Amino acid sequence: MEAKPLDSPTSFVNQLVVPGDVVLDLSTMANQTIKLGGGLRQDCDSITVMKAGKLRFAKPNKYWVESSQKRGPSAPFNTFLKAQYIPCVGDTVLGIVVDTRADNFLVDIKGPVLAFLPVLSFEGGTRRNIPKFEVGVFCGILVFEGLELSALFRQTLGMFYFYRIVGTLLYVRVVKANTGINPELSCTDASGKAAEFGLLKDGYMFESSTGLSRMLLSSPACPVLEALGKKLSFETAVGLNGRVWVNAASPSTVVLVSNAIMNSESLSAVQQKIMVDRLLQRVQ
Amino acid sequence: MEVDRADGRTRNQLRSLACTRGTLNRAHGSATWSQGETKVFAAVFGPKAGMKKNENPEKACIEVIWKPKTGQIGKPEKEYEMILKTTLQSICLLTVNPNTTTSIIVQVVNDDGALLPCAINAACAALVDAGIPLKHLAVAICCCLADGGYVILDPCKLEEQRTKAFAYLVFPNSLASVRRKGLLQVEVEPVEHGIITSVTRGVMPVEDYLRCLERGRAVSAKLSEFLRRSMQLQAPSESPTAVFETHS
Repeated sequence: MEAKPLDSPTSFVNQLVVPGDVVLDLSTMANQTIKLGGGLRQDCDSITVMKAGKLRFAKPNKYWVESSQKRGPSAPFNTFLKAQYIPCVGDTVLGIVVDTRADNFLVDIKGPVLAFLPVLSFEGGTRRNIPKFEVGVFCGILVFEGLELSALFRQTLGMFYFYRIVGTLLYVRVVKANTGINPELSCTDASGKAAEFGLLKDGYMFESSTGLSRMLLSSPACPVLEALGKKLSFETAVGLNGRVWVNAASPSTVVLVSNAIMNSESLSAVQQKIMVDRLLQRVQ
Repeated sequence: MEVDRADGRTRNQLRSLACTRGTLNRAHGSATWSQGETKVFAAVFGPKAGMKKNENPEKACIEVIWKPKTGQIGKPEKEYEMILKTTLQSICLLTVNPNTTTSIIVQVVNDDGALLPCAINAACAALVDAGIPLKHLAVAICCCLADGGYVILDPCKLEEQRTKAFAYLVFPNSLASVRRKGLLQVEVEPVEHGIITSVTRGVMPVEDYLRCLERGRAVSAKLSEFLRRSMQLQAPSESPTAVFETHS
């Protein structure tokens, strides 16, 4: 047992793993704490893979599976609905209000289930000043009533649900996310201040893949947003659930920024700068 | 003895395999799988909130819709749906997203023999593309009994119609592991020695069935290797084609 080298887990790190692969053997790693991210689960003494992708390791003890988000060169229409968003605590997402209950708003965040937003979780929120939000009509409830109807629905539309009346768009933070219960959201930050959360007025929202959202939010400024910001003025909100909201003074700027973001999914930093320059040249 | 199959393959040779993932933009996961001329499309939507009636709400539910190439949906399609549903239920981790439903839609593009194994492979690849949590993958193979009493793999439609009996077998894929092999055998039988599904048609003696199992298991290792490689070639959405040949 002691012959097992300590760096044997690295034999899988940065390698492609498929569901079922055993990547860590805990019986050889006593007295170590390991943090597991997405795509891994613990099965008694071994860590097995649940989703296919590359196994990543970050010092000192974090392992997770990263699934490749690139989808092929057919931009811009390929970034429509990638994988499902799995809610995690601390994520900031864009949600659409679909229903109001006595003490919660039901908000759709593109996850497996709807999320709850308590009516009091706004800055200075009391029972007397509960905000009124427009509710989007949620057609997904019809889908499980009858098999034939649902099959037809899915085939003709290709999407699982759509909204007839546009519901209010909110920028919210995920507070609780556990399997089996609906996630809970909040429109305040940890200390109770509003901090930019809440209603997003005007502007244009489009859906993208979760990978693109992560790239837009990456810590040194994302190349496409930086290049656009040098010439245009606009504001944008990016949700980790694959929704992006853009607002600017004129509609043409909104269209330009949205197209630039949608096109930038499978491009490298240099290619993104070139793409933005070309777009701006065509307009001016 | 060497046998002459219509297309010149040996007994244990599979037709050329091709797998592409991510073909549909609007589905959460999708895949095409073709074995020779047989081609099947699978799309996955979900997991979505809500359960079908009479299903256990503590587990996720899987719903399969089989769409034939032509004609109306009848009993054979319902049977395929049922087999696919139980097979995929055993490879999915159902407790990760309780009270949700995942729908898998299987569309037959062309049927040239070994249709159900092709569909199972396509559905499994689509589930991986959608990121649904799985225990392990499933690889499916069709074995049939030729006239001389020997087993041939992956028959085409003509061979399937002429044979006395055939079996569709689904095995778990071969796993890579950091554990040494010795450890695994002490506790429990390794996962690769299991079998997920077996569907047989016709009459065959028990020894022939066991021989089918043995051949099928040998080829399943090659199929899982192919599946693993096809996931590596994801970025340019190339479809890797492969021709496998194993001699008895």
